[in-house]
Amino acid sequence: MIRKILLGACLAMPATILAQGFQVNLQGQKQIGMAGTGVGTVMDGASIFFNPGAVSMLKENQVNLGVSPLFFKSAFLQSGSSTVENNKDEIAPPFEAYAVWGPKSGRYKLGIGAYTPFGGLVNWGDEWSGKYSLISLSLKAIYIQPTVSVKITDNIGLGAGFVYNHGEVNLQKAVAITQGNGQDSRATLKGTGEGYGWNAGIYFKTLSGVSIGVTHRSKVVTKLNDGDAIFDFPASIPAASLPTKFTSQLPLPATTSLGFGFYPSAKTTIAFDASWVHWSVYKELAFDYNVNTTVPDTKSPRNYGDGASLKLGINQQQTEKLALRAGIGYAFTPVKDGYVTPEAPDANRFILSAGLGYDISKKFVIDLSFLYEAVKEREQTNLESNLSGTFKTHVYIPGIGVSYKF
Amino acid sequence: MKKYNNLKLVLAGLILITAACKTEIDVPAASKGSADFSKYIAVGNSLTAGYADNGLYLEGQLNSYPSIIAKQMKSVGGGDFKQPLFTEAQSDGSGYLKFAGFNADGTPNIVPVKDKLAVRGEYDAGAFGKVTLYTKFAGDNNNFGVPGIKLQQITFAPYGNLNGYFERLLPGNAGTNNTTYLDFVTAKPFTFFTSWLGNNDALGYATSGGVGDVLTPKDQFLGLYNALIAKLTANGAKGAIATIPDVSSIPFLTTVTVKALLDGAKKLNPAFQAVYIQTAAGNRIATDEDLITLSFNSTGLFGKPNGSMQYYGLHPSNPIQSQYVLDKTEVATARDYVNSYNATIKSIATAKKLAIFDAYSFLNTLNVKHVSENGQPYTGVFINGINVSSSFITGNAFSLDGVHLTPKGYAIVANEFIKAINAQYGSTIPQANLSDYRSVKFP
Repeated sequence: MIRKILLGACLAMPATILAQGFQVNLQGQKQIGMAGTGVGTVMDGASIFFNPGAVSMLKENQVNLGVSPLFFKSAFLQSGSSTVENNKDEIAPPFEAYAVWGPKSGRYKLGIGAYTPFGGLVNWGDEWSGKYSLISLSLKAIYIQPTVSVKITDNIGLGAGFVYNHGEVNLQKAVAITQGNGQDSRATLKGTGEGYGWNAGIYFKTLSGVSIGVTHRSKVVTKLNDGDAIFDFPASIPAASLPTKFTSQLPLPATTSLGFGFYPSAKTTIAFDASWVHWSVYKELAFDYNVNTTVPDTKSPRNYGDGASLKLGINQQQTEKLALRAGIGYAFTPVKDGYVTPEAPDANRFILSAGLGYDISKKFVIDLSFLYEAVKEREQTNLESNLSGTFKTHVYIPGIGVSYKF
Repeated sequence: MKKYNNLKLVLAGLILITAACKTEIDVPAASKGSADFSKYIAVGNSLTAGYADNGLYLEGQLNSYPSIIAKQMKSVGGGDFKQPLFTEAQSDGSGYLKFAGFNADGTPNIVPVKDKLAVRGEYDAGAFGKVTLYTKFAGDNNNFGVPGIKLQQITFAPYGNLNGYFERLLPGNAGTNNTTYLDFVTAKPFTFFTSWLGNNDALGYATSGGVGDVLTPKDQFLGLYNALIAKLTANGAKGAIATIPDVSSIPFLTTVTVKALLDGAKKLNPAFQAVYIQTAAGNRIATDEDLITLSFNSTGLFGKPNGSMQYYGLHPSNPIQSQYVLDKTEVATARDYVNSYNATIKSIATAKKLAIFDAYSFLNTLNVKHVSENGQPYTGVFINGINVSSSFITGNAFSLDGVHLTPKGYAIVANEFIKAINAQYGSTIPQANLSDYRSVKFP
C-alpha cells in the first residue's frame, strides 16, 4: 500500500529527473534509521555531513562512530536465458566518524568528519555471462572534511567544510582472448586518487518551530594517476606491448538538498529531505594507458542524467533512554536507458528504514539502524556492450554506531 | 539489560536473513511450444559436424552448434543427443591447426597437430582420387554433419565411398557403399531437425579461386533442396534451416588483402607499384575488389623471383596464380549463386513453416566497420560485451582455417538457431552462455 502511494507520488514527478548510481547514503546511524534524512534536523555530529550549518546548533561536544556493513544482492537474467546469475556475497563497509568541539555556549563549533559518500562493491565472478563487461568493481571514496560552523543568531547557523577525497578503485574484467589453458584473459585496473571539494549549509529555525536546512556539497573530481594496469594475457602477446599504468578520473557529483524538521511533540521529530544529485557530470568512463601498442585507450559512454531522492523519517523518543526510528524514501536513478552496466545495475529504488538509539549513560549512546533498498527490476540492453538482460537488486544494510558526548 | 540482549538477537537475526536471501528474477516458463524436441537430428556439412581449425577433432565435435542446441533443449523436452565422437585416444581426429604465436614479422605462426589421429587408411576412388578413411563410428547418432558434403551430393549413391567422413558413419567399407546421404539421415525416426546444407556448393568454388571447383547449377540446387525438405518433413517433423553465408565475407578471403601485399612489397623495394593477378580474362593489376585466399600466405610464393628476375605477384608476366585469387568477376558470380541458393532456401522453408536462421545476413554483420558513440572504431558486432567480427584470429568467431568457427562462434550460431526456433514455434529454449565457450587459443 505504502509502495502504491509512493509510486503514485513518483508519477507526478517530472519525467526527466532520474538518483543513486554509486552514491552511498549511509552517513549517520540515527539518520539512516530515518531513511537518510538529516538536512533540516540536528541529531548529532553527522550534521558535519548532512548540514554543516546545523553543527553550531549541537548542544554537546561529541564523537560519533559508526559502520554499516552493506549487502548488495544483485541478480541478472540474460535475455533469452533461463539462468539467473547472482553477484558474490561480499560485504562493503561504509563507515562514518565525526568529532565536534566548541566552547560551551559559544557561537561556533569546529568539527571534522570522515565518511564514505560514494562507493561500490560488486563481484559477479569470472564465469557469468557479462564477464566481458565486468568481473568485479570495488570503488571507495573516503571524504575527510574539516568544518567550521557559526551561529549567526540563536535561530540561524551557517557552516562550511573543505573536502579532501581519497579514492580507491579496483576494476576487473574478462577479455575474450583465450589463453592456452582455455581460460579467458583478464584485465585489472587498480589505483588510488585524490580530489577536492567543499560542503556548505545553512540551518534555521522558524518561528513556527519548523527547522529548515539547505546544503550544497560540491562535485569532487577524483583523479587517478599512475594506477596499475595488469593485463593477464597469453605469453605470445609480448608484455612490452601491454600497458602497465593508466590514468583516469571520476567526477563524483554535487548534491543540493533541502530538508525540513517538524516537531509535533517534544518527543517526536519528523524529517523530510529532498536531494538533487548532479550526476549529469558523469559523461564517460575513460582509461588512458601508458602503452597503446596492443590495447587502445578506452572511453565508455555513461551519459548519466541527474538523480534525485525524497525521504521521510521519524524519530520518537519512546522512553528517556530509548528512541525509535523509521523512514521511507524513493530515489530516482541517474542512469538512462541503454547505459545500465553491471558495475552499477541501477534503477529507481524504494527505501525503507528502521532504527533505535539507546542511552547507555549520559555520555554513551548506541544506535542501531537497518536500511533496505529495493532497486526496481530493469530490463536493458547496454548500447556499448550489447549486454542484454534484466537486473534486479536488493540492498540490506544493518548498521551500528556509538556516540560519546562531552 | 534484558532489552539489550533482545536487541543483539534482532541484529544478529537481521544479518543472518540478509546474508542468506538471494535476489530472484522470474524466469519465463519452460515451453516446447508447438514443436517436439524429444528426438533431434542435425543435418549438414562441416559446420554441423563441429569442424574447426582445418580439421575435425574431438574438441570441435564437443562444441558443435547442434550439440549446444541439444544441451539447451533439455529444459524444454529435448532428448539425448549423440554425436559420432572420436575417442580420447584419437582425439586429434583428422588432424588440425593450432596457433603457436607470432612470427618475428607479426604474422601468425600456425602449425599442424596430428599426434592422435583417427586415420585408418586410404581408399583409391579412381578418377575421384584418394580418400582418407577414418575410424568407423557405429553407435547411436544424432549429428549427421559430414565435412565437405554439398547439397548436390545428398542423393548421389556412391558418395559413401568418396567422402571419408561419411564413410565413417556407414556400416560398409569404402567401395561397397550405396546408401545416399538423404536416405541415411532419415532412416531412423526423429521429431525435430536442423539443416544447414548448401555452403559447399559455393564454398569450394570460392576457396579455390574460382578454378578448383564448380558452382552447383541453380535449378539443380532448387530441385535437391525441395527433395531434402520434403523428406525431412515427410513424417511431420518440425525444424530449422540456415541460409548460406556470403563466401566473400569470411576471413579466408578477407585477411590477405591486395593492399597488405603491396605495402609489404613496398617496404622491401619502393619501386613496386602494383600487385598482378592471373584471371580468366588475362593478367592484370589487382584492386581491393579482388580477394586473395588465406592459403596463399603460407605458400611463400609472393615476391619470389623467377628465372627472368620477375618477382611473383609483382610483375605482369609472373602474377599471383588464379587458384589463389577470387577476382572481382568471380566474386560477383559466387555472390549471384549464393543469393539464388538463399532465395530457394528461404522460399521452401517459408512454405513449410520452418524456422529460418539467416546466416547470410548475420555473418555479413561481422564484416562491417563501425565507429562507436565515443569515436572508437570497431568491426562487427558486440554480443554481451564480446566484440565478434570476421577478423582472423582476433575476431572471436572464426577458427584458424578462416572458414569454420571457434567454439564461441558455434555457440553464437546455436543461439541464433535457438532464437529462430523460439520465434517460429513459440518455444522457450534458453540461449547458451557464450562465456562458457572459447575463442582461438593463444599460447
